[in-house]
Amino acid sequence: MSAPPNPTGAAGRRLAALAEGWRVYRADRGGLFGLAVLSLVVVLALLAPVLTPPAELDVTRAGGAPLRPPSAENWLGTDESGRSVLLLTWWGARMSLLVGLSAAVLSMLIGTVVGLVAAHFGGWVSTLLLRLTDFFLVLPALVLAIALSTVLSRGVLTIVLAIGVTSWPQTARLVRAQTLTVETRPYIERARALGGGHRHLLGKHVLPAVLPLVFATTTLTVASAIIAESTLSFLGLGDPAMISWGSMLKSAMDTGAVTAGAWWYLLPPGLGIAVVVLSFTLCGRVLETVLNPRLRGERR
Amino acid sequence: MTPILRLDGVSVTYRGEDGPHRAVVDANLTLRPGATLGLAGESGCGKTSLALAVLRLLPRSARVDGTILLDGHDIERLTWGELRAARWTSASVVFQGAMHALNPVRTVAEQIAEPIRLHSPERPAAARVRARVTELLEQVELPGARRDAYPHELSGGQRQRVMIAMALACDPRLIIADEPTTALDVVVQAQVLALLRRLVSERGIALLMISHDLSVLAASCRCLGVMYRGRLVEEGPARQLVATPEHEHTRALAAAFPTIGDEGSRYPGAGEPGESAGGVRGSLLAAEGVSVEFGDRYRNRVRAVRDVDLEVMGDEILALVGQSGSGKTTLARTLLGLCPPNAGTVYYEGRPLATSGRELRAFRGSVQLVLQDPTGALNPKHTVYEAVAEGLRVHGCADDEAVRVREALEAAELRPAEEFTARFPHELSGGQRQRVVIAGALVLRPRVLVADEPVASLDATVRGEILALLLRLRRERGLSALVITHDLGLAWNIADRVAVMRSGEIVETGPVERVLTEPRHDYTKELLAAVPSFEGSVS
Amino acid sequence: MTDTRDEFETSAASTGPPPLLRFVAAKAGGGVVSLFLVAVLGFFLFRVLPGDPARTMTRSTPVSAEQLAALRHRFGLDQPLYLQFRDFVIDLLHGDLGTSYIYNRPVAELILERVGPTVLLVGTATVLAVLVGLWMGARAAWHQGGPVDRWFTSVGLTLWSVPTFWLGLLALMAFGVGVGPLPGLFPVAGMSSANVPAGVVPHVLDVAHHLVLPCLTLVAVIYAQFMMVMRTSLLEEMGAEYLTTARAKGLREDLVRRRHAVPNALLPTVTLIFLHLGLVVAGAITVETVFSWPGLGLLTYEALRVPDLPLLQGTFIVLAGSVIVMNVLAELVYRLLDPRVRDS
Repeated sequence: MSAPPNPTGAAGRRLAALAEGWRVYRADRGGLFGLAVLSLVVVLALLAPVLTPPAELDVTRAGGAPLRPPSAENWLGTDESGRSVLLLTWWGARMSLLVGLSAAVLSMLIGTVVGLVAAHFGGWVSTLLLRLTDFFLVLPALVLAIALSTVLSRGVLTIVLAIGVTSWPQTARLVRAQTLTVETRPYIERARALGGGHRHLLGKHVLPAVLPLVFATTTLTVASAIIAESTLSFLGLGDPAMISWGSMLKSAMDTGAVTAGAWWYLLPPGLGIAVVVLSFTLCGRVLETVLNPRLRGERR
Repeated sequence: MTPILRLDGVSVTYRGEDGPHRAVVDANLTLRPGATLGLAGESGCGKTSLALAVLRLLPRSARVDGTILLDGHDIERLTWGELRAARWTSASVVFQGAMHALNPVRTVAEQIAEPIRLHSPERPAAARVRARVTELLEQVELPGARRDAYPHELSGGQRQRVMIAMALACDPRLIIADEPTTALDVVVQAQVLALLRRLVSERGIALLMISHDLSVLAASCRCLGVMYRGRLVEEGPARQLVATPEHEHTRALAAAFPTIGDEGSRYPGAGEPGESAGGVRGSLLAAEGVSVEFGDRYRNRVRAVRDVDLEVMGDEILALVGQSGSGKTTLARTLLGLCPPNAGTVYYEGRPLATSGRELRAFRGSVQLVLQDPTGALNPKHTVYEAVAEGLRVHGCADDEAVRVREALEAAELRPAEEFTARFPHELSGGQRQRVVIAGALVLRPRVLVADEPVASLDATVRGEILALLLRLRRERGLSALVITHDLGLAWNIADRVAVMRSGEIVETGPVERVLTEPRHDYTKELLAAVPSFEGSVS
Repeated sequence: MTDTRDEFETSAASTGPPPLLRFVAAKAGGGVVSLFLVAVLGFFLFRVLPGDPARTMTRSTPVSAEQLAALRHRFGLDQPLYLQFRDFVIDLLHGDLGTSYIYNRPVAELILERVGPTVLLVGTATVLAVLVGLWMGARAAWHQGGPVDRWFTSVGLTLWSVPTFWLGLLALMAFGVGVGPLPGLFPVAGMSSANVPAGVVPHVLDVAHHLVLPCLTLVAVIYAQFMMVMRTSLLEEMGAEYLTTARAKGLREDLVRRRHAVPNALLPTVTLIFLHLGLVVAGAITVETVFSWPGLGLLTYEALRVPDLPLLQGTFIVLAGSVIVMNVLAELVYRLLDPRVRDS
């Protein structure tokens, strides 16, 4: 395929469109806040093994007295085994982000494929997929995820799987709707009249139009996946060997931190979840606005 | 006698992100009671802004300068309460596209009754309101049984009748009609226009009608005004304005609505098939006994195309005319091999059309499609170059891609081609976009162009240029065209032969001069009668 | 669609049984298929997926091979899968959900005991959340971009980002146990106290007292969903042309809103509310766990700790099944409400 003449012009304009998107994104204070918080949390989570001594996570080697309020030594107090709550919260971020992101990516893959196939090909396959999507959409996802993680062996992979395979229907619905909208556009008919096959239509026209929105929804899916992860861990279905915000809250409840009034044990992990989830939600909402000019106009 | 409406130096300015945008500039007009005035102009010329300004219905981002006197009152000085009282009693509006202008979840009767209740001094008795609604529905020739229908249960024409009934509800002295018949079919359009004309003249209501379609205005109004880029450029009696337009924009608008039967409005080269270089006579693309069926939502079979024979000859422009829903687009899709027929055969150069594989692909290269809406027909994310080259890439002819794209763009009169290749569709005008679509078809060097309403969404000024381009391509390249349209004027402009389609069947075929001047089939006569003309306005 | 030649032809001409009947039949049929799918899924999740359910149930306690064999026999796990499935479906049709492993009682009986409290909690919370959410959503949309909108939206989004159980734990600590000088105002666990004087009124008051914290926790997390849905659909209606018609008729702004915009926005909201029911159910599981509210959620929690697979299967089928039934009902109600879908 020969290069189109004057490619810099078009590429330049595409970059300009991206810059324009960033300008719209930047105008939203919530979106900026979310992005900043997320960058910070991700960097800290990645650097946890470098900046903190992992040995102190070991129950047998914990230094402090159990369930102590914040002090100069342990800024956020200690848990029931005398470990630093700050350290636990820091390490818990790794788990929440890992599970949240992986589950969202899994759900995005399933959702996109199902949505595309259901919308593009038609016929009985599409009908079947649509009915299946509607079925799973109505089904309470968390109940299903609980069932899955109960019967499968405990582990990070199980949690990712349980959340991933129960949260795809929204994405599938969205991708299907978007694909159907794109396919009513005359340029699809034009491409068909030019002789383009399924691969050409999907690859050149449908996917590029659908993917940005999928990206925005995935950001929102990460938010709900993190909540789902914490809920499953809170119910005791997580990987017992790993520290996560949900499992911290489970220990807090099981060991009577609530009745003891140990607010320093309850607040950090919960705030961690809330701040990260809120940041993903804010980012996702702004991304939707940036990518969907119709919504953008509405905000003016 | 005080004028019912008087505009003095009215300007409408919108605050936008890119600075203020002046939609209407210094408009002056006077409308006496019972007078009828049509405002014509292309999309974006400010005519709707002007209409909405009369009742102060513009969004907050708009600023209105100058004075608007409605029934002698300066509407900018009215309090909100006085303004609300004046709305619908002094002037009411028939909005464009009645589907959206009516509330979808309330019945027609409720919506007509609403202003009656609202503007009555004391609470009127339910029976009286009911009687009044029935009376109004009778006046717009709707059966009383339809009073409890919801908007979606009515046809487009019926909805527009409901809008008219609603506009009459409080006996206003002025009706503002904004594109009242735009989404309607020619025949229904003629009925609705006749109704509006009759009601307005019977009651001595003043009418301000707004449309892009000069012929619709000429058929309903005694006076016409033409707006161009926010300014009122020409005003005068309808007949005079259309017959001897002074402003060049008025001329363009008038040319878009040719007088059928007038040889002067045929384009040069129209009706002269077979005289071009390299043209091949004989059948190129043909349908024989083609029927197409669909399942509708009740799983009933609907026969969209019934046993149709149609032939596109080499070097010929054939117009396929009919109302919407007549099956003409389905027939075109079948001819393109995009929709398999349930019965009958499509032939290309005398050979039956393949249903799949290499042969169908080759066929797709020879018969190309040009769609109505060039904005939708181009992927907004692809540059002009990519859009034009798409066909070449699909067919795997990549060797001299750049050369052929350039050639196609220049053939579609986009010169110099280099200036356009790197642009995106939104950076082009409507006419340029349609040329890109045509270039995208030409790049495969087709023999036949199937053009589905190729100029319906274009402004009047561009319309002529695109039609001339089709004729030039025929003359220079021997390119045949099947032009699908609802517009008999278009057929008269450029076609050699015309086929008239109704309810899936072709009722009449023949040379344009014969069919449009001496129609044989009743339906053709009916269609011709529905074309708006001055005769209607005089009677 | 524009007109065909026959202008007075009604657009909804059809043959066969009346559309409403056909619609109800189709929806009910779809519901039955979905319920059957739930049963299949329940069987698959708890009998097929674990491989050996007996071993899964006893994974936290050491058991001998004989004990395992006895367990398998007791739950019919020693039969071929297709026979197990046949018996499972037949039992299900008779309302028999099997026997609980930990309680050694019929699962159906256990579930029946716990349905009441859950319905009370979820029902009260949903009604409150819908009322609060719709009202706030409508206000936010009408004052779009203003302080009310920004305030409502930020609070809603923040609460929505909070895990239900954490909010419950905080509420429990602040208002149940008490923090610092603040005494505990509400009971910390259960649905009723032991030392309540006899009589209906004291009993009702006692239950209501217990209900406050779990119910408000649930409302705080779910109302935001309803609010955002209402806000979005009202915003979508606000550009509609029929609102310009209404204004042109001389209607006051608040009438334009109440008579035209809100009724239109409310309809799509109804279905979305029911789609979010699954979320409410999920929230109920953790809230009941935190507050030891003796409902289906707590039962699920007790079952999954062991895990007691027959009991889990039972709660799964009942929870999923009721959400599906509610959705079918919602679609029927929606159809009666919205004239646009009434004859399509």
